[in-house]
Amino acid sequence: MIGAQGHAGNLSGREVRREADGGVIAGIQSEGLRLAGRFLDDGDADTAAQLSFDPEARHAGFAIRRNELQYYLAGFGQAEIAVKSQTSEALDQLAQRLAISDSQLLFPNNYLTIDGSERGDIYRAAAAHALAHLIFSPRHRPVGNRKPLLIVVMSLIEDARVERLMVQRYPGFRDLWGRFHVATRADSGIFFGALAARLARALHDPEYADGNHWVSKGRQLFEAEANRLEDVAAFDRIAKILANDLGQMRMPFDPAEYRVEPAYRDDNTVLWDFSEDRPSSDDQEIRACEAVKFEPDHADAETVMDTSLVSAEERPCTRYGEWDYRIESLREDWTTVVDIAGTDSDACSRGAITKAERRRSRLRGAAQVPDRAIRLGRLHEGDDLDLNAAVDSVIQRRSNVHPDPRIFQRHGRRRRAAAVLMLMDLSESTNDFFPGSFTPILDVEKQAATLVAESLDLAHDRIALHGFASNGRQEVSYVHIKDFDEPFGARQKDYLQAQTGRLSTRIGVALRHAVACLVPEPADRKVILLLTDGEPSDIDVSDKRYLVEDARQAVLSAALQGVRIFCLTLDRHADPYVRRIFGTRNYQIVESADAFVGKIGRTLVGYLAR
Amino acid sequence: MNELIHPYLIEEEPYYRATDNEVELFEAAMARSLPMILKGPTGCGKTRFVEYMAWRLKKPLVTLACNEDMTASDLVGRYLLDADGTVWHDGPLTLAARYGAICYLDEVVEARQDTSVIIHPLTDDRRILPLDKRGEIVRAHPDFRLVVSYNPGYQSAVKDLKQSTRQRFGAMDFRYPATDIETDIVAHESGVSRDVASKLIGIAQKSRALCGRGLEEGISTRMAIHAGGLIAEGIGAHAACRLAMTSPVTDDEDMQRALDGFVEAYFGPEVS
Repeated sequence: MIGAQGHAGNLSGREVRREADGGVIAGIQSEGLRLAGRFLDDGDADTAAQLSFDPEARHAGFAIRRNELQYYLAGFGQAEIAVKSQTSEALDQLAQRLAISDSQLLFPNNYLTIDGSERGDIYRAAAAHALAHLIFSPRHRPVGNRKPLLIVVMSLIEDARVERLMVQRYPGFRDLWGRFHVATRADSGIFFGALAARLARALHDPEYADGNHWVSKGRQLFEAEANRLEDVAAFDRIAKILANDLGQMRMPFDPAEYRVEPAYRDDNTVLWDFSEDRPSSDDQEIRACEAVKFEPDHADAETVMDTSLVSAEERPCTRYGEWDYRIESLREDWTTVVDIAGTDSDACSRGAITKAERRRSRLRGAAQVPDRAIRLGRLHEGDDLDLNAAVDSVIQRRSNVHPDPRIFQRHGRRRRAAAVLMLMDLSESTNDFFPGSFTPILDVEKQAATLVAESLDLAHDRIALHGFASNGRQEVSYVHIKDFDEPFGARQKDYLQAQTGRLSTRIGVALRHAVACLVPEPADRKVILLLTDGEPSDIDVSDKRYLVEDARQAVLSAALQGVRIFCLTLDRHADPYVRRIFGTRNYQIVESADAFVGKIGRTLVGYLAR
Repeated sequence: MNELIHPYLIEEEPYYRATDNEVELFEAAMARSLPMILKGPTGCGKTRFVEYMAWRLKKPLVTLACNEDMTASDLVGRYLLDADGTVWHDGPLTLAARYGAICYLDEVVEARQDTSVIIHPLTDDRRILPLDKRGEIVRAHPDFRLVVSYNPGYQSAVKDLKQSTRQRFGAMDFRYPATDIETDIVAHESGVSRDVASKLIGIAQKSRALCGRGLEEGISTRMAIHAGGLIAEGIGAHAACRLAMTSPVTDDEDMQRALDGFVEAYFGPEVS
């Protein structure tokens, strides 16, 4: 059993496990020896086992490598693949191998010393191996009536084939993988697993000499085809011959004792489709989308109304146009924004900002941004000569007038005031967990909003927190969690925490309304910071491009009114549309929850300084 | 040619490898005295292109890197003091206009908008430069040309060219060259073999895929050339790539390790 954690994703760990229970992999994986398991036989089992884990966790733990591996995949053009960890439930659990699916890589939490974790960078080797499969392997081939032994040998040959192809393109991988190929005749017996590891080594390392007939035959057959590596069928034939030989050798093969060697290689589930009735991956993706998409019905529409403090009749509505790219013009008054006021702000809550809160760390750096556009001329001392003043001074001296000694200049450090409007996406999908964590996206947005609202320097800057969710063009709810004139007191915080994700994401009209709120502000720099988790969508629009183009128009018209818009998105698949909507350098795709909250401050400071 | 402008002539042919028909287009624009904007990411060859074209057209090249502090006097000139009183000193723009040179304003969006408007009378059919402090009108030499460049990645509401400035120019987009050409460039400029050069370009291209995902800009051709130069000097490939390519572009540890991973994909694991 592979201990994959199955809370998200298309081919979740649970499904992998289901296959495993019914299929061959169950046998292959079900009982591998795990180093730590051996310690359990000793007297003080747990401490010893625990000790054996600790140093490994420090050197090769997955958690500290996750971001890096995600960047790594993105560099190889696989940005849409999520990197996750498998949870190990018990110490005596079988050895874990990387599991690949179409949408994610599930890494073991730790690789053990027996797996070679100290011989090299095993996580990187595993990621590179996964890339080789993703780039070159045919995926999900039906198993049919193939025997377990044949499947295993075919997978082994496929591993060698794709690695060979990968090394042609990226020669460095040869040594990276080579460090983990250590099987020799001396240290392993004659059982299938050992032979397989030796064949894997022989196919990887031309220097390696192996006297075993089966291993050399495998190498010979493989090298004969090695100049046409794209031909998958030829290598299937090799695998069949080799598996057949094993059968004739009466080589005992117990799938239960076998695991893929070297340890950086994956369990090869991605290559095979074990069940006949399993829906195709397309269907699964559609289902996954549907789970996210919210189909509003009447009852839900009413609950939205309940959350607002004023009744529906009194709610102030504003109409905005919407850009239709198909007719290339603005549909006037096409959408309706319903303002939902925040809490009743009364004067006494202003006192709610305690001294402690005021002392809370300001966004570091914000105050030190010098405004180099300000020149303070004619000073008694400064960084530079104010040349005009200096010339005047000399002219005065020559004219026998008392010269003006103020001939220096320096830059001012007065900051320009900024007004920041944080616009939070409150759509249904924000209830989902952040990829790779158990925090809902909405909670991450709330944390980020709180951080920014509390740390802006209130002497210079003003901030508002607004949120939006749309239910068709006639009802875009726009929530004023904190307005510019309100303090960020207990009430506002409670109201922020009370927000829940519902309905859809109509970004364009929400931005238009936010711009309308921001324009009257008397600040030098007006910035909207949009926090979102996905591309614009709404129930009454089926053409994806329509809302993207509308949002783009909203951003462009905001720029004309002096409002800049920056988007922080948690959608790893955001590339195609965020750049289109917001323009280069006006967006950031954040890959992890910690990074999101951490980055938002830096991003804002950087953006305000620009 | 005036002796003041002579030192700005480029004597030796700078290496430039054309990627498309840019040389032809630029020559046609120069023949019509059309001022040009060159856009492109940092280190993709804009400045080298201008040097090459100046050499090709046999015109002196006056280069000025723009910054926020730059004032109009930094461009047109100012009075300085000497023992006898004040003397006028031509700025680089005036120098180029007066004696006939290509004036190249690098990263022009860094200059404040009110500074860059002084090029307006030079860039339309008047071709004059009024020096208000001196009470002089400089009529541009027939050989005077104006070329500006900037990196559109840095564009923002505060730093942008005014429309009135933009509309006086023709523009050309520069990108990182195609893989083969970029490999040739790196091999030629740094002296490494084509094989090593193609690895360096592979690493750079991987990093460019991370643009917007944690990197502001990918590794440029210029950085790949620096790394290649170090390798040609005998520095180890890993150390050279770290020094000249991966370390300068990011401070983030995870990103740094991912970039090291790209180096490893081409040069193998570092032998410790």
